[in-house]
Amino acid sequence: MTETKTQETQKINEQLASAASTEVIIEFNKVNKWYADFHVLRDINLIVHKGERIVVCGPSGSGKSTLIRCINHLEEHQEGSIVVDGITLNQNLKNIDHIRTEVGMVFQNFNLFPHLTILENLTLGPIWARKMPKADAQANAMKYLERVKIPEQADKFPGQLSGGQQQRVAIARSLCMNPKIMLFDEPTSALDPEMIKEVLDVMVELADTGMTMIVVTHEMNFAKTIADRVIFMDAGDIVEENAPSEFFDNPEHERTKKFLDQIL
Amino acid sequence: MTIIKASPTPALPAPLSETSVIGWMQKNLFSSVFNGLLTIAALYIVYMVVKGMWVWGIADAVWVADSRRECFSINPDGACWAGIFAWVDNIFYGRYPREELWRVNLGILSLFIWMIPLWLPRVKAKISIGLTTVFLYPFLAGYLFSGGDKGIFMQIMLTAAIVCLAGNTIHATIGVFTGRSLPEFLSSLFGKKNVHEKTQRNIFLGIIALSFVSIYVWQMSWSLGGVSWTKWGGLFLTFVVSGIGIASALPLGIILALGRRSKLQVARVLCTSFIELFRSVPLITVLFMATTMFPLFMPEGFVLNRLVQVIIAVCLFNACYMAETVRGGLQTIPRGQFEGAHTVGLGYWQTMGLVIMPQALKHMIPNIVGNFISLLKDTTLVSIIGLFDVLNMLRAIGKDRTWLGLHIEPLVFGALLFFLLCFVMSKYSRHLEEKLSTNQNN
Repeated sequence: MTETKTQETQKINEQLASAASTEVIIEFNKVNKWYADFHVLRDINLIVHKGERIVVCGPSGSGKSTLIRCINHLEEHQEGSIVVDGITLNQNLKNIDHIRTEVGMVFQNFNLFPHLTILENLTLGPIWARKMPKADAQANAMKYLERVKIPEQADKFPGQLSGGQQQRVAIARSLCMNPKIMLFDEPTSALDPEMIKEVLDVMVELADTGMTMIVVTHEMNFAKTIADRVIFMDAGDIVEENAPSEFFDNPEHERTKKFLDQIL
Repeated sequence: MTIIKASPTPALPAPLSETSVIGWMQKNLFSSVFNGLLTIAALYIVYMVVKGMWVWGIADAVWVADSRRECFSINPDGACWAGIFAWVDNIFYGRYPREELWRVNLGILSLFIWMIPLWLPRVKAKISIGLTTVFLYPFLAGYLFSGGDKGIFMQIMLTAAIVCLAGNTIHATIGVFTGRSLPEFLSSLFGKKNVHEKTQRNIFLGIIALSFVSIYVWQMSWSLGGVSWTKWGGLFLTFVVSGIGIASALPLGIILALGRRSKLQVARVLCTSFIELFRSVPLITVLFMATTMFPLFMPEGFVLNRLVQVIIAVCLFNACYMAETVRGGLQTIPRGQFEGAHTVGLGYWQTMGLVIMPQALKHMIPNIVGNFISLLKDTTLVSIIGLFDVLNMLRAIGKDRTWLGLHIEPLVFGALLFFLLCFVMSKYSRHLEEKLSTNQNN
């Protein structure tokens, strides 16, 4: 009974995704970036549609984190253009601040604020950046804490929570800003194995709501279940870009094959 | 074969060396013959020093006498504390007119009254109380200490300070007993419970305005006689210089530190060179520059009083040291905290004020208080350029005709005084650290 129901919702979601997929929300156009002499992104072209779920994988140092950090301008690119939600990223600080309120990000090391309680962590952005009244922000925060299944931890400090709980708080913190896009930078890499699942479950649920997601991860099973597209990067290039079934069963490039052999 | 125990091994009693006094002494003081001898020698030295101090400072000391000669005739081997007692007003207040001492006392007392709410539980809006202390209290104290004719600006600021002091005190009293804030209390007085925030604020502002006007009218009816800064002295002057230094060094230091880390080239170069310039010269040089060189560069007829010059010099000098302390604290904050703040949409000042500074300041408390302590001690340098701070007052005792040659006792007294002040500060910083680290385990 429940299974058919989830299947149905999945179908609806897929329809929604395909219906919405004509709207472009992120566009990379010939983006190049260097760290001093090191050419970290080479001629990146990428289009992400609204509601799409993309998994980015590749060996370490391939530029995948840098790629998604360019989207909310935590990293600056030197050449080419990036357009997010219709706004071109440039030196204009107002644009950057605006885009950061629209793009949520979850980090490998959570980056929660250790001097604030969980609830304060969640309401800081809405109150100060979105100018939301405090009571509304708190009600909203509790709603998202319930969604990540830890409402009882609201008054604790981040240091008192397990890694998995902290990462779920970090996801809730981003969701409180009501973002259009969610970026995940290796969200499970710093977690103990038994905590990975609770975080992935939350992410799968989030994917089911139709959120645009870009996830850098080594969790290939997760990629198989939720991704619309998998992107493989190596040495600053996007080497291969494909639907997950094709990508895993039938990789086109030699480098992709080699990488998959190593991690699967 | 493996042995599996069904129950956990029972705990053994701790060895003697961990629990008894004798065991501890054996382990730490007499672990070998040589260490035993060292311990005995050290104890003997400590005994001799303490005994000497006891005999000179307390057992043989003279507490009541009218002159140093009388001290000598009573007991030539002991300390002559009578001289300190005779000079106690000078040590604390310098040459401040004796009939006006209440003004100094009232000024210092009102600082305490102003700041007590910061330590009380259940009092709301502590940040505004702290800010008013920094921005309004100086006007109240300034007028109490120096008096004279009130200009229109002084009248306004003085009134604001008095209103604020009264408001703070009432607010804190209400807070301690009911846990409510002053605006909430006022609107409930008018029988309006659960009123809208805006009405509450309007009632509050109305009453503040009313009391402002009435106090303004009242303060026009009196004024205090002027006391020239040249009469200020003693511990009072030390407190004025170091108090202003402490209150301004931290905010200035934070601004300089942020400037030094700024992405704006101009701000960075300016702040860096300012910090490096002041840090690379000794305070006494800065003081001489401020009092002798600085007036040379000023247009003719431009006279700043020496005390103000000295205070500005002390503030700038300490702000630079504070800036480096703050910069050190900022460097302990991982980059992820900045990124975390940016991703929830906070701008630069919000990130700094809400996320970075609260964490960095907590790490910096020992260093900040260390800076304050050295600032307090450094203010004794103003005695070299002729201000009669506590050190200069203490040295003046030995030049007084009745107490001629009384040099050691005043300096011992000064040492005790400074030790007490610095020790209290350092203990308080330990307490702050513990208090702040108990509510977050990270």
